[in-house]
Order: sequence, then C-alpha cells, then structure tokens
Amino acid sequence: MKKKSKVLAFILAAALALTACGGGSSSSSSGSGDDGADSNAITDLVTFETQTREMENVFILNTEMAADLNVLCNTNEGLLETDAKGELIPGLATEWGTEDGGLTWTFTLREGVKWVDVNGNEMADCTAQDFITGLEWVMNYYKNGANNTSMPTALIEGAGDYYEYTKGLTEEEAYALDTSTFLDMVGIEAPDDYTLIYHCTAEAPYFDTVCVSACLYPLSAAFVESVGVENVLASNNETLWYNGPYTLTEYIQNNSKTLTKNPLYWDTDCTLFDTVTIRIIEDTTVGYQLFENGEIDHIDLSEATLREIYDNEDNQYHDYLVEKRARKYSYQMHLNYNKLDENGDPDENWNKAAANEAFRLALYYGLDFTNYWARTNYVYPLHCENVTYTMTGLLYTSDGTDYTQLVTDKLGIPDSDGETPRRLDTDLAQQYKEQAMEELAAEGVTFPIEIDYYFVSGDQNALDSATVLQQIFSESLGDDFVQLNLNTYVSSQTQEVITPHLQSFVMNGWGADYGDPQNYLGQETIGEDTAYYANNYSNINDATDETLIATYQEYTDLVNAANAITDDLDARYEAYATAEAYMLEHALSIPTQLEVSWQLTKVNDYSRSNAMFGIQNYMYKNWETSVDAYTTAQYDEFKEAFEAE
Amino acid sequence: MEKKNKNDLFEFVEYSPEAAERIGYSDYSYWGSVFQNFLKKKSAVVMTIIFFAVVIFSFIALIIGKYDYSALVADSSLAFTKPNGEFWFGTDNLGRDYWCQVWFAAQTSIKLALIVALGECVVGVTIGCLWGYVRWLDRPLTELYNIINNVPMIIYMTLIALLVGQSFTIMAVSLICFGWLTMARNVRNLVLMYRDREYNLASRCLGTPVWRVLTKNILPYLISIIILRLALSIPSTIALESTLSYLGLGLDINTPSLGILLRNARSYFMQYPYLLIFPAVIVSTITITFYLVGNAFSDAADPRNHV
Amino acid sequence: MIKYTAKRLFQSLLTVLIIATIVFLLMRLLPTDYFFTEDQLMKLTEEQKTEQLQAAGLLDPIGQQLVRFYGQIIRLDFGTSRRIQSGVAVIKVIGSKFAVSMRLGCISLVISLIVGVLLGILQTLFKDRIVDHVGTAYTIFVNAVPSLVSYSLVSYFCAKVLGLPTLYSTRDPVTSSIVPIICLSLASIASYALWTRRYMVDELNKDYIKLARVKGMSSRDIMVKQVFKNAFVPLVQYIPASFLSTIGGSLLMEKLFSVPGMGPLLTDAISRYDTSVVQTLTIIYAALGVLGVFLGDILMMLVDPRIKLTGKGETR
Repeated sequence: MKKKSKVLAFILAAALALTACGGGSSSSSSGSGDDGADSNAITDLVTFETQTREMENVFILNTEMAADLNVLCNTNEGLLETDAKGELIPGLATEWGTEDGGLTWTFTLREGVKWVDVNGNEMADCTAQDFITGLEWVMNYYKNGANNTSMPTALIEGAGDYYEYTKGLTEEEAYALDTSTFLDMVGIEAPDDYTLIYHCTAEAPYFDTVCVSACLYPLSAAFVESVGVENVLASNNETLWYNGPYTLTEYIQNNSKTLTKNPLYWDTDCTLFDTVTIRIIEDTTVGYQLFENGEIDHIDLSEATLREIYDNEDNQYHDYLVEKRARKYSYQMHLNYNKLDENGDPDENWNKAAANEAFRLALYYGLDFTNYWARTNYVYPLHCENVTYTMTGLLYTSDGTDYTQLVTDKLGIPDSDGETPRRLDTDLAQQYKEQAMEELAAEGVTFPIEIDYYFVSGDQNALDSATVLQQIFSESLGDDFVQLNLNTYVSSQTQEVITPHLQSFVMNGWGADYGDPQNYLGQETIGEDTAYYANNYSNINDATDETLIATYQEYTDLVNAANAITDDLDARYEAYATAEAYMLEHALSIPTQLEVSWQLTKVNDYSRSNAMFGIQNYMYKNWETSVDAYTTAQYDEFKEAFEAE
Repeated sequence: MEKKNKNDLFEFVEYSPEAAERIGYSDYSYWGSVFQNFLKKKSAVVMTIIFFAVVIFSFIALIIGKYDYSALVADSSLAFTKPNGEFWFGTDNLGRDYWCQVWFAAQTSIKLALIVALGECVVGVTIGCLWGYVRWLDRPLTELYNIINNVPMIIYMTLIALLVGQSFTIMAVSLICFGWLTMARNVRNLVLMYRDREYNLASRCLGTPVWRVLTKNILPYLISIIILRLALSIPSTIALESTLSYLGLGLDINTPSLGILLRNARSYFMQYPYLLIFPAVIVSTITITFYLVGNAFSDAADPRNHV
Repeated sequence: MIKYTAKRLFQSLLTVLIIATIVFLLMRLLPTDYFFTEDQLMKLTEEQKTEQLQAAGLLDPIGQQLVRFYGQIIRLDFGTSRRIQSGVAVIKVIGSKFAVSMRLGCISLVISLIVGVLLGILQTLFKDRIVDHVGTAYTIFVNAVPSLVSYSLVSYFCAKVLGLPTLYSTRDPVTSSIVPIICLSLASIASYALWTRRYMVDELNKDYIKLARVKGMSSRDIMVKQVFKNAFVPLVQYIPASFLSTIGGSLLMEKLFSVPGMGPLLTDAISRYDTSVVQTLTIIYAALGVLGVFLGDILMMLVDPRIKLTGKGETR
C-alpha cells in the first residue's frame, strides 16, 4: 500500500505539471481600490449566470435576447441611461426633448466620447453619424435580419418602408447602400455632429424611453468601414469597438466572461469596477456553494436553500437574507378564447366557459395563488402578488404617484394587510361560480371544465410549479367546477402549443419595451396586428361569442382614446388606467404574479439601475458594494432610505 | 466449403430429430448444471434474493404506505419533513410523501430496465446470429451498425420526442432500437468463431437446418455472454434514462423514475440528504445485484465449466 | 499492409459520408419552425419566416441542399454558427472548445490507465485477499452510485475540505482542473482495474503459465513477462478509441463544473437548431469513432505479432 500511495502522489504531481503546461498564466485579482472612495467596496466584481442563459451574440444591434443584452449594455452606450428609480438620466445625450407633443425629438450629444478597441485604445469619436449608421444597420434587412426592427418600424417615420425597400434588393446591393438613401427615406437627421433629430410616425410622448433599447444604439461608422460590411456580424469580442463603461476582454463560452473598465469612458466621475467577471454556473445550487467559498459576490437562493437558511437560526447566513427588488416582468394568465383540441377542432366546452364573464370572474376572485408565490418567495409570498396588468414602477404621474396606483384605486383593491391576497374574495368567487355553472349548464357545457396547461418537459421546477397550480385550482374553485390538466411540450412552446391553439391559458410575463401603458395595454386589443397577446395567446380575433367581442371592443376603444391624448401626460395615464380597470373588472386577462425572490449579496440593489423598460438593469455602473455580505437589517435601511426619497 | 464436384462423394441423409438428439451421456441437464453452479456462489444468491425482495417489497410498500401515489397533494407546510412515523421517507420539496414516490419510481425504473434488457436481448441475439452466420448479410449489417452506432443517440431521441411523443412505451421501444447493437455485435463475433467448427460442419453435412445449428449447437456457447450483457444493460438503462430525463427527452411527467428523483434530489441533498439517500440506495442495490448475479450466472452458464 | 490500410481508410471515409448524410436528412426532418427562437416565432409574420428560411436555403429541394452540403464538405467549409456563437465559423467555435476537453480528458486517461492497471495488477497478485476485495468494492461502488451523485459529492468534499475551487476557471487552470479530473477518472479507473484483473486472471489459468511455474520461473517474472504482457493486448485495443473520445468531452462533468468544452455542445446545438454545428460535430464524432477502431486494430497488431488483420475473413 505504501508503494501505491507513492505512485499516486507521483501521478498527481505529474498531472498537475501537465495542466500547468496546458493552461495560460494564472493571475490573481488585487483587492486594492484605485480611488480609495470606499475602502470597503469591491473592486473586482464576480457575478453569475446560469448555463441556459449563456450569451450567444456579441453584436448589440443583432440581438434581442436579454441574456446577451445584460452583458452588452456594459460595452455599448446609448443616448440615455436609467437610474435606480427607473427614470431617464443623461447618457451620450446631455439634453433632449420634444416641443410638439412627441412628433419630433431632438437630442444634444456629448462631445469627446470615444470608440475604443478591446484594449481600451482610442479608435474614433462617437458622433451623431454613428446613430444614423446604427439605425440604418438595424433597418437594413440584409445587414441585420429582422432583429430589433419592431420598435423603429412602429415609431420612426419611414423606417418600415426602408426595411421593405432593402428587402427588395439583392444582398450585394443592400450591403453597398450608404446612408444617403436611408436619410432620404427615414425620419432621422443630424444637422451637425452633435445634434440628432428623430421624426416619429405619430405623437409619441414616450419616445425617449425607447432610447435605452438596443434598436437605437449607435454603431461606429469608422468600424464598419474598417472591417467591411460583410464582416461586421462575424466580429468577435476582440475585434469589436466599444463606447460603454467596459470592454469585453474575455468571452469563454459556458465558463466566464470578463468585462474590463474602459479607460476612455466619458463619465469619469462614476464608480466602476476594475473588472466584472460573469461566471456560468449549472444551477443556483452550485452557485450557493460558490458563494460560501467566496468565489462569487451574490447568489439567488433556490427554494430549498432559502427555507433551510430562514428556518434555521444557527445558519451562518440567517441574518444575511435579503429580498430582491421585483424583476421587471408582470405575469398574467392569458385565456385562450379559441382553443382547439389535438385534431384541430374547437374545444367548445372550454371556449364557452372562457367567453362567460362569470366564469372568468370566478377565476379572478377565487384563485388563491399564495402557495404558488411561496415557490418564489418562501418568506413573504404576498410580495409576489400582482393585481395590475401593467408593471408597478413603470411610470409615475407628475405628482410622483405610481401609475398602477391609479388602476388599483379605480378597482377598489385595498392595500395589502400582509396576510391575505389583495384581490382574493372567496364569497364573490362562490357567487360567480354558481352563476357560471348555471349559465354554462344551460349552454350545454359539461363539468368539471377541463383546463389544459402546458409547460416544458424535463424542467422539474416548472413541473413543481404546475403541480402547485393544479392544487390551487382544485382547492380554490372545487373539483366539481374545473380540473387542471398538466401537459408538456418538448422544445418550443410556440411551435408545439401556441400555433395549434392547444392551451387553455398561458402564464406569461411581459417586460416593457418602453415607458408607456400603451406597451402593456396595446398587446390585448382586438382587431389590431400589433397586439401581441391578442394575436398569439388569447386568439380573441377568432372568438365567436358576441358579448365577449363587444367587451373587448369597448376595451380597445378605451385604449385608443387614451393613446390619442399626447399633450397632457397625467390625463393620458388617467385614461389608460380607466381602460386597464375595465379590462380587469371583466377579467379579460388575470394578473398573477411578480418575481420577488431572495438572495445573499454584497451588492446594494437600491443603488443600481432598475428600470421597467430598456436593457440597462445589468449595467455595472455606480453600484454600491461591500466586501462583506449585507445583512437583512442593512438592506431594510437601504430600502427605507430609498423609499423615503 | 466443399462444393467442388464432390456432390457424388457425399449424399444427404433424411433429417431425423430423434437421431440428432441422441447423445451418449444421458444424465446431463444443461440448465440443471447452470443452477447447480450458480447456487454455489453465495454472494450472488444472496443478492438475487435481495433483488427479488426489493421488487416484491415495492408492491407491498405501495399497499402499506399511508399515501396513494395517484392521490398525492402538495402542501407547502409539510415540505422537507424529515422521515418520521407519518412519512416514512419524509416529504419532498412540495410536501408530498416520499415513500410512495420512491417505490413507485423504483417500479417504473425496474420495469423499464427489464423490458429494455429483454427486448435488446431478443433483437440483439436474433440479428447477431444472422449477422454472424449468414455470410451475405455481413456487409449490410456492419454498415447498419456503423451508421446507427455513430450518429449521436441524442439526435434520434430528440426527433422521436418531437415527432412521436413521450411515453413509457415509446421510451422502451426507442431504447431497444438503439440498445441491441452491442449485444448483436458480441453475438456476431462469437458466432463467427463457432460457425466453422468441425462439429457444426458435420451437423450441416447431416442436413441439420440453419435454425437448429444456431439454436442447438451455437447458442449454448453464447448464453454466458448474453447473460452478462443483459445484467450490465439493466443499470445502464437506468442511468441512460435519467440522463435523457435531465435533457427533457425522457419519460412523460406522470411516470417518475429513480433517475428523475435522483436528479431532483441533487438540488437539495446538502440540506436534506435523505431525499438523495433513499433512491440512491435502491439504484445501487439494483446495480450491484445485477453486476454480481450477472457475473456468477454467466460463469455458471458456460458449458465448459460444467461437469 | 498498405493496401489493407488504404482499403480500410476508404471504407471508413464512406461510412463517415453516409453518417453525415443521414444526420443531414434527420435534421431536415425537424419542422422548420425550430429554426427560429421563441421570440421570433411570435413576432415574425409567415412571410418573414419564409424569407429567412429561403435565405438560409432551407426551402430548396432536399436533393439540391444535399448536393450543396457535399460541396461544402469537399471544400472543408463547415459554415457559420447561428445560435451557439452567432456569426462565428463553426470550426472556430469547436476549435476553442475541443482543446479544453481533450486536455482534461487526456490527463484523466493517463491517470486512470496507470492507476487502473496498477490496481488491476495488485488485485490479481493478491487475489481473494483484502486488496482484491477493496478493489472490487471500489469498482462496484463507482458503478453503483449514479455519476450525478458521485460528482456532486466529490465536488462538495473537495471544496469544503480541501478548499479547491468549485468551478473550472481559465485564470487558474491548474487547481481548478483537479476536481473535474478526479470526477472523470473515478469511473475509468474502475473499468481499467476491472478489465486488467479479468484478463490477467484468465491468463493465469492458462497452460503455459503452469508450465512456466513448473519450470521454476519466479512468480514475479511470470507476472511481468508473461501474464501482464498477454493480458495487456486486449486492453491496448481500446486505448486509441478512449484517447480520441476525450475530444468529445463529458456532458455531465462539463456542465457541472462549467468547463468550456465540447461535452454540452451537441445537445445545445440540437436544441437551438444550429444545423451547421450539429452536422460538423457528427462528422467529427463519426470520423473519430471509425478512426479509433482502426487505430486500435493497428496498435493491437503492433503489440502482438501473432494477430494478423490482413488474413482472410476478418473475425474481429
């Protein structure tokens, strides 16, 4: 045995030597802060992302995926930025505004902003021309596919026409286009290098909130010229040019990405990390282990870990549990008004039920989602309750009231008492249930009404949530009334479920594209091509029930009336709130949840950008951090201070 | 072999089954000797008993358990209850009784593994015999083997899941469809070795039909290797099924398997090790059993070790 | 010999080509809608989808697509990745990954060969004694515990007790490789030990060993000069294949430790309908598989001069 252990030792040593030869040099991160502003702050942040959310594309204009944009918002800078309250602040534009109710928007650009290469060497100036080049790129079919075109097409004059025009060309012709045709056709102009003017298709008082989306980001004209149009999409992180706070110095797929501070970044007063490393982990269980070892600086807690830490007072992290701020997605239940069965025939039983208002209201008032929320938030499930269609914190009236407050006031939903869900009303639900059963029985509907719910196979978390949901339906509404069937799809929900109209409802979260209620409420209108949910999930345009269609029509009219008010924002929001309240009173769609989960962290979330629209929430700029994890008490203080402001 | 104008030298006799069966040593029974030899291996016998006990107990367990698998309800207040008098194996993350889940899953897994092993064996042995014995089949079957074997299985499984669907039957059939290869190849190699032995030559000259040469003369030599493969295929089916489930290509949601339970338990085992231990012990028992039993039985089945 | 090699190589080439064709056709069996991301499926109109498919050449007759595919193979042009790393040449995507998998795989292969064979020899030397039982117990244990579980345990233990990094890191490839290598080696050590022992025990029972013993050859000499040499022959055959298969990486291990290798690439590429990556990977895997068997035969022939492959009727 002794001999064997010697041999083993030798082998191990040899293996180590081999690995050493194979790998690159190892560097250790230094802990010394450069400006000494806060000696307790982290200088090299290490964060994480799970494997399924690995970045696929490094070119910001060519991607719409959050996983890509969460990284790329650090390497590219647009006209504006967002702050912790979700309000717009100057970015590359120092001043901006409109004088005609949102038809024409003028931006004054900052001077001296540089494009740099991956090592931070100056390559070119960033001017208004680059925004024109960027938009041309986005709207040119052959250059950018169809990525990021939806918002410019809807909002900027002539953008859609230009897209159609380039589609008619050959690839070579489209590549050869310079900006002259584009400037003739599309409502964008640059009177000088530092002034940029957009002309909108109609009054869009919210156009500035689109500026924090990828579609309006600039693309260096000099860069396109230097690599050639055909090579732009094939550029990698080492050949791209950057104008954001960081450059992407390392991109090892399925392992890690490193962002390094851009030395020529325009905002010399802001706090940046020297480097930010994003490590890819299999799941948060591995992540928790990493956090324990001090290898990453924050970690989201899974159900089991959170439970264990919260319930066990001796746990080393018991006092360090902090609640995250809500993610920007507002979840609703979208009923399908034209459900088909597997043979493609209408599922009359469900369709009749869904068209019945009493049935919908029974779901609306009766479903107690507490256990469902507890899967995300074991400690305070009610923090996940969502009672409005529009996301809380999306926008505020001139006196600082949250828009969703207007809606809940109109609906008469009380503030949370911390014990029961705000919307839940079992008596009312029982009343509606009886009414629905009576009315539907007369129409020949059989009970229990079968409800088909689909989720991805192989995902235990989705299965567990679905199981809980099944239980909720059974307990809240009764087995004599409804029965929730759980079904799975293998890879594509759209392909396997939505296109054949198999689902009874979809639970989906909507994150805003821009800061206006239209972006939410406009998705549910009847008879409009742009209404995403109406066309894809609810299939209201194929519904036959006249009462239902009339209700939808009424709602659509209310939304359009609100959209027509462009000179007085408060009046506009008031009108939208009326439309939204109408929609919810008739339970055309049922709000379900917000994502408020728990974490262990060394980052103060109340210092980072938290906008409900745009791509900048993961911009590692002005983040307050501490080398020691924040305690629950500290976080409560942060929250109080933030809300007092 | 000997076909050059020697037709007149030899003449086929009428085939008679009695004459073919006539042997000198009459007291010998093949399967009798196999069992005799097998029973000498104490560890293997003990493991066999344990395995059958597990299988039988999985049925009893479901009957005596306090909860019925089909009627399980989620109750978050009971989640992660440690094993106690009410929940003998504790509860899972949704507060559902773990005892009936484990035993139900064990049944599914064992059933799947046995069906697949049996299917692989039947298909593999049949094709393997033909592959080895019938000369003109060699090329096409070798090509077929190369092709199926070298296209990554996950491509097939993805296509099957998307185009056909997911269920226990589909899973079993597709696992058999790709699992017979190894068995067939093993059998083919052995058949090649024994095909042209003198006694087979003689047998053929006596007019014995091909199927009889294969089943009576060659197959007994193969039994030991077939059994070994069979035994090894059972744990590997369980492992493969869990990998496929992990990728979302496995069984449908209503049939939990041990692989799925193990996969889920991974997220909890630091805090709640019992969720991992129970299914892991069953999987390990099955694996060890078949490993030991397979080895012992394959030794016992080798006719060279008899008498 | 040369003629035989040439013939085998030609056959292998043909097999690889057939496999490539089959995978190509299988990928075309998938509904074309999988070409798009979920977002695109929702937002694009039928017209736009058709245009994109047309641009990608997916709507041409299958025969035409196949001819174009062969053309690409001949020119060794494997196209660009669509979703794995958008716009990057497939060769580059794979090139950046295979070195990592191969390095870890090879180190683990060397370790498991040495440790596994040594363990097997020890087990044979001390047959039916404590070392043998410990070895067998290890083999059974490794095979019996599902790898997901054993990997998690190893990782937890190494991080907690030894303070090793949990994930693979390119900044510190030496220490962060230890845990993945241990995990990779666990099973293969067991299998090498198992087979070494099996072959050596088989060899020990043969007549020539008895003769050698009768003639007074020392036990040690018998072991080293006769038994091990002969028992090693069947093992040798699998070494090239195992060596080549290290390129493919390990799905589970690489996912768990975030190793930027080849392991998860195929499943990722299939689920994202990245056809060029899938096709290239299958060609590579098929070529490696065929090459592995071929090299194994050659190596076996070199080690054991009695084995001839060129004789009539290969009976391998």
